Amino acid sequence: MLPPPFSADFLNRLEVLRLRTRKEVLSNQPGAYTSPRRGMSLEFADYRKYSPGDDPRYVDWGIFARSDRLYVRLYREEVDLFAYVFIDTSASMGFSSPREKFIPACNIALALSYVVLANHDHVRLHALSEANPSSPFYRGRNRILDLIAFTATLSPAGAPDLGVSLGKQLKNIHRPGKAILVSDFLVPPESYRHALNLLRAFNLDIAAVQVLSRVEVDPPFAGELRLVDSETPEELNLCWDDATRRAYRERLERHNRELQSYCHQNGIHYSLYVSDEELSDFVLKTLPAMGLFK
Amino acid sequence: MEFLNPAALYALLLLPVLLIAHLIRRPPQRVYFSSLLLMREFAGGSRAGRSGVPPIFFLHLLLLTLLLLALAEPSLTSRAVNIALVLDNSASMQAVEGGQSRFQAGLAEAENILRGLPAGARVDLYALAPHLARIGEAGLRPNDALKRAAALKPLDVGEGAVDHGAELPRLAHENGYGRLYFVTDHPAEGQSATLRVITVGRPQNNLALTSLQVERAGLDAPRLEARFEVRSFSNVEEKFQLNIKAGGKIIATRAYTIAPGKSVDASLDGIPAYPFYEGEIAADDGLPLDNRRFAVAPPTDGIKILAISPRPGGLDSLRAIPGVDAQMIAPEAYRKGKFAPHAVEIFQYSAPAGLPDVSALLILPPSQNPLVRVADGAGSPIVTGWREGHPLTRYINFSLFRPSYARPLKLGLNGQAVIDGVDGALAVAFERDNHRYVALGFDPLPFLGQRNLPMSIFTLNLLQWLSGSQSSSVGTGTPLNTILSRGATLLGPKGEKLDRQTAALYQGIYRISAGATEYLAVNFDNAAESDLRSSTPIRISEAHRAGGERPLAALLSPYLLALALALLMLEWFINPRPAGKAA
Repeated sequence: MLPPPFSADFLNRLEVLRLRTRKEVLSNQPGAYTSPRRGMSLEFADYRKYSPGDDPRYVDWGIFARSDRLYVRLYREEVDLFAYVFIDTSASMGFSSPREKFIPACNIALALSYVVLANHDHVRLHALSEANPSSPFYRGRNRILDLIAFTATLSPAGAPDLGVSLGKQLKNIHRPGKAILVSDFLVPPESYRHALNLLRAFNLDIAAVQVLSRVEVDPPFAGELRLVDSETPEELNLCWDDATRRAYRERLERHNRELQSYCHQNGIHYSLYVSDEELSDFVLKTLPAMGLFK
Repeated sequence: MEFLNPAALYALLLLPVLLIAHLIRRPPQRVYFSSLLLMREFAGGSRAGRSGVPPIFFLHLLLLTLLLLALAEPSLTSRAVNIALVLDNSASMQAVEGGQSRFQAGLAEAENILRGLPAGARVDLYALAPHLARIGEAGLRPNDALKRAAALKPLDVGEGAVDHGAELPRLAHENGYGRLYFVTDHPAEGQSATLRVITVGRPQNNLALTSLQVERAGLDAPRLEARFEVRSFSNVEEKFQLNIKAGGKIIATRAYTIAPGKSVDASLDGIPAYPFYEGEIAADDGLPLDNRRFAVAPPTDGIKILAISPRPGGLDSLRAIPGVDAQMIAPEAYRKGKFAPHAVEIFQYSAPAGLPDVSALLILPPSQNPLVRVADGAGSPIVTGWREGHPLTRYINFSLFRPSYARPLKLGLNGQAVIDGVDGALAVAFERDNHRYVALGFDPLPFLGQRNLPMSIFTLNLLQWLSGSQSSSVGTGTPLNTILSRGATLLGPKGEKLDRQTAALYQGIYRISAGATEYLAVNFDNAAESDLRSSTPIRISEAHRAGGERPLAALLSPYLLALALALLMLEWFINPRPAGKAA
């Protein structure tokens, strides 16, 4: 029995999806994703002069008839996908409660992982925390239970630097593939840029999913407050009134625009999920609309 | 700008309480948030500054200040340059509080007012007693008015029955005063921009010696007794000691206790003969003036009576009374003035054209008389009531008092019924100008003697009371020309020679020099002034408050209240209510 929202209907609809990659991937096993190497797929790639020993089946007899030269047709290699899903498990993801933000973030990661598993591709979950746990590579839809069990072991805590944690996790990644980073991105721009650049350096096709709770988008504060940062002992005295509320929302929107702009400039899929939205709608409508799925 | 209710400005002392309330207010709620990254840049906008006082405090401060100022009723005034200053110098202003009299406190208030006037201001100074009159010339400079006010002294005279709430605005209107300040010990109900009542003094306990008479024990008795009355205007039981002084020493003394609001009537026997006496109650109360009272000794010789009757023989029985020297004449002789000097006139079945200048008794007067209205026809002679404690009703058993014939009397403007019958009064008495008058609806004289003892006692009471007027006193404020005979000179209590056109302004023993020296006791006699606990308030009617004041004053209170209301709404919108739940 899978926890909500993973109903049978939701899983069926996830199974028809397939992750889109903007980059060619490398693998040793045949699959559905284009590899930079030449192979045996049906997708034409190039011509090459015939060399002795080439399979005469790939000789393009039409060119030979026109030019009296022998050329062979080359085809792309199609390999399976290695997907890496990174979940931010810093303390801020537990605000205002794990159910509010962290569990929806995990569910997004699991839904995207299920898409990968259902296509017989490889997926691995990475927790961006101070301990940096990660799951093994899983393949096959039945391994979703293992991934759920892995996420169940995670809890938001600590204040790990996003780039540093990601750098440690990337040391264990040896082949390019799809990287999906699920975080609230409530870190300074330098920090998230550093993290995303690390992923780019590893030649990964990147998608960033920003998860925010409704309380973060529109804090229900009023009056004199002493705000305490969930990750640091920093405190701020604020008088939360309409002006402060407007200023905060403008500041959040500017922060999100900067993140979106950076992702757009660097070929990174970006999407914002506010936790009071329907998760199935976000996965099945919003993410396909932004081109994350084929 | 001035304040019609300046006492409300004391409420501004509450403003620091608001600051304390803000300083000790609940500390800000501690709320965890995912990241303060986005809030750091406007954290400086926290409204609690370094002092810990948020900006909303200043809005609250402004709001409260406006409300308190509105309570003080500020008015925009064009500076009045022509003002009147009315000083209450009546007897109650002699009341002492905290080492100074109310009049001195009033002078201090007047000095504050005058010193606050512009240099070009002109002041008319008025004194309230003995009647409202201007002091000095009109249009005094403030400094000159201050000097004249300082020279004033409170008189031993009470206020007249004047409605100051109506009279003073009329005075201001007739003389074109922009402002009239009335410094008094009366509280004011209502204020106006033109009439400003400045009240001094607080309610105080007071005892008053309201009556003192030294009389003979009987018409022919050489023995003297002092009769007195003390009234309490106190809210607690008081003890006092009454001293009778004469010849520079205390000749009689006795201690008494008096209940709150009650009076004590008593007499002291065995008073030795002196020309005049001073009674004094030794009590620590508010007004020393009414603790003293003066009386002169009754004449030593018997009472001289002029009896006027159409049948003079009917009054022969008067001659049988010891100490009575009676002359019987007919009314015609009275009209011709053919009679010897006398102290009491008795009119039987007749009446003078006007009130005589001596004490008089009218027995069954005709309908044309200056004292009472007489009912037509005979009435029932049965006595239904009498005034207890009156000298005329002393020692009389009214169950045995049965006149054989009576004509009921109707009260006129003067007098009070001493004996009541079935159809009206049977005896009416009153005093005026140191003389006493009695009208009887029955004739007591034919029954004089042992045959009808109550009627005889009543007759003796009558003669004693009428003759007692020779030793009674006059009240302060009485015009002296009504007391003095032509050619007589009058010396005041301190030996000063007095103008006969003035009034007796101070109580004491006055000396009348017309050949031989006579003494006249002048006493302060005004219970309303002695009551220092409940002074009559000055009611300023709405008509007087509104009349003619708009050009000089514009009340700001409605505007301040409107502004305060607007600020309250602003505060409601910009000051968030405390959060119902923690994030």
